[in-house]
Amino acid sequence: MANFNTHFVVAATASAVLSGTLLSMEILEPTQAVMAFALGTFGGLMPDIDSDRSKSIGIGFTVVSLLVTILAVFVKNSTYSLLEMLIMAGVVFGTVRFGFIEIFRKISKHRGMFHSIPVAIIWGESTAILMHLFFGLNALVSWVYGIMIIWGYLVHLILDEVYSVDLGNRRVKKSWGTALKLFKVKTRTDQIQTILIYALVAFLWTKAPDPTMIKEALFSPEAWANFKDVLLPYDGRWFFH
Amino acid sequence: MYRSLHTVVIFTISLLLVGCVPAPAPKPSTSSTHSRPTMGTPIGQVNGYREYGYPPRDYRQRIKNYFANKLKRADHAKYTFSAPVRAYKRKGLAYGGDVAWRGWLVDVAIAVPSRTGRLQKPKPYMVLFKGDVIVEDILGSNHKLITRVGK
Repeated sequence: MANFNTHFVVAATASAVLSGTLLSMEILEPTQAVMAFALGTFGGLMPDIDSDRSKSIGIGFTVVSLLVTILAVFVKNSTYSLLEMLIMAGVVFGTVRFGFIEIFRKISKHRGMFHSIPVAIIWGESTAILMHLFFGLNALVSWVYGIMIIWGYLVHLILDEVYSVDLGNRRVKKSWGTALKLFKVKTRTDQIQTILIYALVAFLWTKAPDPTMIKEALFSPEAWANFKDVLLPYDGRWFFH
Repeated sequence: MYRSLHTVVIFTISLLLVGCVPAPAPKPSTSSTHSRPTMGTPIGQVNGYREYGYPPRDYRQRIKNYFANKLKRADHAKYTFSAPVRAYKRKGLAYGGDVAWRGWLVDVAIAVPSRTGRLQKPKPYMVLFKGDVIVEDILGSNHKLITRVGK
């Protein structure tokens, strides 16, 4: 299994490549590309928040707590006084960061369904919904942010699988296949968990922003033509523009 | 003599009266399909204008001017416009979710060339007007926070 630093560096590199490509294809503005890079990197750390002793759980819960606190402040800023907001922010942050983390540690199991492709999709859909409905961003940018989370998450899962192959001793470790999985049906609890996860994927899809723009921007013949336009110097002259 | 004078007076007065009839009111210089309310406009329609304002005048040119400074290679852009419709937009839920804008929305599809000069597929935009002023543009042809009310 790759350690925290490896996950961080690989996720950041993969996110930089994808956000840079989207910027070059003129799908994102420069500021949006920076945000996409940050979300992709964060997505690359998220799968390990189910590990009780990992750095990821601390970072993940701090970021989520800050996000929830900022949302609460946004919602109440027109009615609460500064002192009320300060107290509310402290209570919200403390509850999520130190209260929910204990509950989460108790119910989650490392390399459980948190390390799976449908959960990556759930995080991506949730991000797209949050950006669209809460912050009012357009459907394209909301979906790009969601896809960056999925991208970072999948890079983490793939890296875990790569590390489960011992190339020196030419053997496959016991952890092979536990990261990049679609479902887990070993026990009754696993089966229920898998069903609930897929039900949540379907439910969030109904609430997600319209995917037409993202399909057109990333998964269409037009997108491929745009990618080819920016892949190589269009006039054959390298570095002299 | 008296009879012919009478005829001349009536004829002259008739000519004067015809000359006093006001010329048809000039049509407002708008490319909108909607006209502003006049004396004959039904009261229900006038109430609609009170909430959403008047439809934007000359919206095609205003939109072109707006995007001229916003899009890359905008001078080669091709525009396709739809007629303005009444709409309103809510704030994001993070900002309270209240109605943030109420006015006229114009759907426009804009095709711009890529950096290699290839004309790309048109991208849809929703342009939000408050009166004749563009307040915002949103990429896409719909948004969960925007509701179209109709013409």
